[in-house]
Amino acid sequence: MLFLTSITDRPVEGQSGERIGELDDVIVRIGDDRYPPISGLVVKDGRRRFFVPGHRLQSLNGVARLASSIVDLQPFTRRSGEVLLRRDVLDHQLIDITGRRIVRVNDVQLTPVDGIYRVIGVDISARALLRRLGPRSLAGRIVGRQIIDWQDVQYLASAAPVQLKVSYDRLADLNPVDLARIVDALSFRESAEIVAALDEETAAETLEEVSDERVADLLEGMDQERAADILEEMTPAAAADALDDLDDDVAEQLLARMEPEEAADVQVHLEYDEDSVGRIMTRDLVRIPDGSTVGDALAILRSLEEVPDPLLAVYVTSLEEPEVLRGLVRLRTLILADPATPVADVMDEDVPHVSPEDRAESAARILAEYNLLAVPVLDESHRLIGIVTVDDALAELLPEIWQRRRNFA
Amino acid sequence: MLRKRFWPYLAALGPGLLAASAGNDAGGIATYASAGASYGYGLLWAMVIVTVCVGVVQEMAARMGAVTGKGFSDLVRESFNLRQTALILLTLLIANTGIIISEFIGVAAAAELFGVSRYIAVPLAAIFVWLLVTRGSYGWVERIFLVLTLAFLAYVGAAFLARPDWPTVLAETVRPRLHFEYGYLNLLIALIGTTISPYMQLYVQSSVVEKGVTPDEYRYTRFDVIVGTVTAGIVACFIIIATAATLHPHGISVKTAADAARALEPVAGKYAEALFALGLLGASLLAAGVLPLATTYMLSEALGFERGVSRSWDEAPIFMGTLTGLIVLGAVIALIPGLPLIQVLVGVYVLNGLLLPVELFAILRLINDRELMGKHVNGPLYNALAWGIAIVVSLLSLALIVMMVVDWFR
Repeated sequence: MLFLTSITDRPVEGQSGERIGELDDVIVRIGDDRYPPISGLVVKDGRRRFFVPGHRLQSLNGVARLASSIVDLQPFTRRSGEVLLRRDVLDHQLIDITGRRIVRVNDVQLTPVDGIYRVIGVDISARALLRRLGPRSLAGRIVGRQIIDWQDVQYLASAAPVQLKVSYDRLADLNPVDLARIVDALSFRESAEIVAALDEETAAETLEEVSDERVADLLEGMDQERAADILEEMTPAAAADALDDLDDDVAEQLLARMEPEEAADVQVHLEYDEDSVGRIMTRDLVRIPDGSTVGDALAILRSLEEVPDPLLAVYVTSLEEPEVLRGLVRLRTLILADPATPVADVMDEDVPHVSPEDRAESAARILAEYNLLAVPVLDESHRLIGIVTVDDALAELLPEIWQRRRNFA
Repeated sequence: MLRKRFWPYLAALGPGLLAASAGNDAGGIATYASAGASYGYGLLWAMVIVTVCVGVVQEMAARMGAVTGKGFSDLVRESFNLRQTALILLTLLIANTGIIISEFIGVAAAAELFGVSRYIAVPLAAIFVWLLVTRGSYGWVERIFLVLTLAFLAYVGAAFLARPDWPTVLAETVRPRLHFEYGYLNLLIALIGTTISPYMQLYVQSSVVEKGVTPDEYRYTRFDVIVGTVTAGIVACFIIIATAATLHPHGISVKTAADAARALEPVAGKYAEALFALGLLGASLLAAGVLPLATTYMLSEALGFERGVSRSWDEAPIFMGTLTGLIVLGAVIALIPGLPLIQVLVGVYVLNGLLLPVELFAILRLINDRELMGKHVNGPLYNALAWGIAIVVSLLSLALIVMMVVDWFR
């Protein structure tokens, strides 16, 4: 097995074994290839560093041997699209897609495929570090590696100081919760790079799970049009939380760029304090007029263009005034009851409710005390304006342990 | 929306201010009080120069964070070779471990001023800190500790009430005098070590990175760094003035926390000890909560271990092990019977000062790397100043080591 750190700083020889210099770095093109091919070498001779094109390379075992001896000593300069393995990959961070985490590259594995040397994996084991720390002669005694296939890692373009076209397809294999964990753990600029590569829907789902401060910074850092599009895709409650952490002017500019309907939804939540019921509630609920039968209710549900998810109950409201709550029918009851039964006969009338100004905790307490999956939110004139589901309350209440304390590190 | 509503400069106040005030922790107070008690106003000039140095070093750290978007240990790992990285990380680890020990000693000293045995207080503090950090509800506790440290502002009042001879104070502030005497040099290095602590640079840089400060917004951060440095410098000067005016004339050197507290008598009377103990407790717990976590993150990020306080022991054994180990180590060493607390505190900062050159030269190389910093490398004059600082600190450290060795063979 051939590893980068076993060939760097070692001699580079011509065809007849004469010394040309020492191997300083290896150039690869990270692009469409599954395994990036070596496109050249950086060879240093004293203080000069020059470029040797990849096709001149004959073998890399132990010493780098070139196929020809005549080397036109072209001084090395960095070019866009080219990544230096030692400078831009070794010791840098990558995303391990299958492991769903950030790893640091302790060595790079190379192998010839059809005559061209390619990067096939990275070693992330601590033993690789030990091998590099000790004298080279002892390196062979330290055994064991932990290699991740290059196909399973995502390279971060910001690691190299040149313009790169990196494909971020592999991120699609991660679910938004894992993506959020990675976005939180990376530095701001790297996390911005990741979010920029996601489609709006995935970006929205990811940002819903990312810590509030980081979301605010990310939204502020990106193009406003895109920020507004992402906010539209987020749940109104999450979007309101994100906007709340932004500068007032920026928040207003973003709201103005959003679709009026979505912006209005978000604004409703913004009217309430952080940690209040009004902020975490869901306004998406199904209203059934009080004269209906169970069959009517099911028909209404089926005719909906967008059905709330999770769907826990339907809310029976007055026919004349759809804001007045009469009672609720749990989904379970709705499915089991005879379709001809009037909903009024199967609904729970004596339902506890909360006010949008109440603290989120009190909604959680009521959910727990009454064994409910959702509790209706009534405003001061007793109109039904939303519900708080167990999901909403849980997300609010789970200790901040979940928000990584990276402030200091 | 509070976060950015204010005038951007005002809003940027924070990390720099906090980091610089964190310099006035248990070890800082011990060092400043010792300096004032033993040498009167004789080290005031040094405090002024050291404050300028802190400003320069903190500024470079913040600029690195803003331009590269990366923390210090990240940059070290990515820009230095592995052996150099190991050396730099090792010195940072030793320096930080020393400070963690000093914070638990601070807890011990504060507890004993209240008449509580350190064998009860320190283990309790260690468990408390560990739970806070791993349960992740540190935020509001941090604020309480921060408020407690305001007790040290009493030194400003104490300095005025002690009626020092102000013309002498001023003259000593602007007149540098260097004695090549072991004790003096020792305190000078400690003064440098406690004021330019590596962990403060780590903190400033990482918070700049965390906030996503861009090079364009960097001027606000620089303002924060300057304000923080100057504020902390002024408080430190007043601690020296207060102890110089009250303790020095009576030939009292600071051997225990109670000695340092006596300088507060002009302002707090019989409550001097209690006031001092509160401040010390707050400062010590504040840093004891932050440092083990910061050190663990520094190592884990550079070495690529799975990390995060939300991870379990199974998921992140090295992270949790290091974090716990640092806290336990700090607490255990602080409990060694018969440990001369104040001397150990000063000793820790001498060690910090001795290790400082490694970090300073690392910063200098990174900040002047054009591939990394682009046009934001140091300007020629500023660079000369920064190099000057690094060289002078190294020479002083070297002088101290030579004197130590000479001392051994005598």
